[in-house]
Amino acid sequence: MKKILIVDDQPIIRKMIRLALNDDRFELEEAANADAAYEIIKRSPPDGMILDVMMPGLLNGYQLCERIKQDPILSYIHVVIVSACGQESDQEFGLSLGANSYFVKPFSLVALATYMKISLLGSAL
Amino acid sequence: MNQFDTIIDAELWDKSPWGMVAIDVDGKVSAVNSSFQQYTNISEQALLGMSEADFDYQLIRTNLIAQHRVKMTTGTLRAVHYLRYVNNMQDELKTAEKMSNIAELLREPLASIYGFAELLLTQHYDEQTRLDLTAILLQQTEVMSDLINKNLEARKD
Repeated sequence: MKKILIVDDQPIIRKMIRLALNDDRFELEEAANADAAYEIIKRSPPDGMILDVMMPGLLNGYQLCERIKQDPILSYIHVVIVSACGQESDQEFGLSLGANSYFVKPFSLVALATYMKISLLGSAL
Repeated sequence: MNQFDTIIDAELWDKSPWGMVAIDVDGKVSAVNSSFQQYTNISEQALLGMSEADFDYQLIRTNLIAQHRVKMTTGTLRAVHYLRYVNNMQDELKTAEKMSNIAELLREPLASIYGFAELLLTQHYDEQTRLDLTAILLQQTEVMSDLINKNLEARKD
């Protein structure tokens, strides 16, 4: 079982991603902002994280991504940024912080689910 | 205007708010409109017959943005260069930033509309779940509509 943390301040987006990742091999957890997500990660690190960028709180998504990827214990976490910031410079910035992938909203949930399966389970099926 | 008359209406050419210059197949400036002279303070006399390379050099020295060049493959012209004068660069940048922010705002409800529609299309849900997801779709459409209305109103100010 692979654990995925869904981090987005919009409950509707979290629900949508949860439905898309409905698979017995995934254990899903949610956080409404990056601060709450960081607490969860310290307590129980996930295998993957789907992370929004613009969220209220002390940390934004970019900062959380950077923190995780700079921590040798947590850097293995597969981070996928899903953001409405869709300019090329935003994507380059996210990837430069160590994010494994960057999906611009709106994005295909089928593509996201397939990507997570390949990345965490080693197969698209 | 000479040969250019045959391609573009002379009145349109002269009254266009865009500064425009025609470059003929020999690579020389063959026509210049009034707006271009006004924006650049370069006279038609100075430009006519100028080589394309010298013309490009003149452009570098101007403080103008939104420049484009359309290349032609047939006829007596090689290209038409056109540009727009921007009075206040800061205003232009602020407008671009506002538009970018609006785009980001709209992408949030659009993401859920796209996502839930895709789920309804690709997953086999029971009737109640389908109704629930359809209700979310409608609700998010309203959110998006409100955002458009508010931001369009704001842009009228």
